[in-house]
Amino acid sequence: MKDLIRKYGGPFSGMVAHLIQRVTGLLLLFYLFLHVRTIYALREGPAAFDQAVGAFNGVLFKLLEIALLGAVILHALNGIRITILDLGLGQDRQRRLFWAWSIGVGALIFLAGAIPLFLASVLRR
Amino acid sequence: MTAIWWWLQRITGAALVVLLIMHFWVEHFVSENLRRGDLTYDAIRARITNPAWQAIDIAFLLIALVHGLSGARNILLDYSRIGRRGARFATAGLVVIGAVWAWWGIAAFRNL
Repeated sequence: MKDLIRKYGGPFSGMVAHLIQRVTGLLLLFYLFLHVRTIYALREGPAAFDQAVGAFNGVLFKLLEIALLGAVILHALNGIRITILDLGLGQDRQRRLFWAWSIGVGALIFLAGAIPLFLASVLRR
Repeated sequence: MTAIWWWLQRITGAALVVLLIMHFWVEHFVSENLRRGDLTYDAIRARITNPAWQAIDIAFLLIALVHGLSGARNILLDYSRIGRRGARFATAGLVVIGAVWAWWGIAAFRNL
């Protein structure tokens, strides 16, 4: 673990960030497909729609939904970081920006969203 | 041409940050029922019959599709050697996929 942090925490941060952006991006595009598929059931009326949404009511799906929130936050914050770097700002601090902003601030926002969702959808059901 | 897409990716990305925060708040956090994940037909209907919300949601879908499919195109062109003709073919294919996908999402509201 320590070796991994030394290897990817330093000179490879940019590459890790780049890969995270692409993998989360493809995952989110796939999710959008599933999302539109479910929403389309609105056409078939209340019973069909509530059944289609109800299929995702299990604890496993609730946990996946919280993981989805994490993927969105990572992709969004890292995307903001990329845009800032592209504008020519903070390029000498891109590694620190990755760890402090994309990962650090991202973890805080994730917890702020994940805790209420976890309490309501996983613990109190 | 490439520069336009590069900028479009940043602009749509910035718009998606704002739209997503709103979307999460409205659909997942605003009430205890929604935090539990009890999203019902009636709850959606109450919101979506408002034409302003329909416009926002349709714009949201279109912006997400431009951003997502253009990102997928970047990945495809980076990791493949399909040449310029292949790239044009891939672009045309993604535009068709995007148009069908957009119609699919918009048509979901038609019977509400």
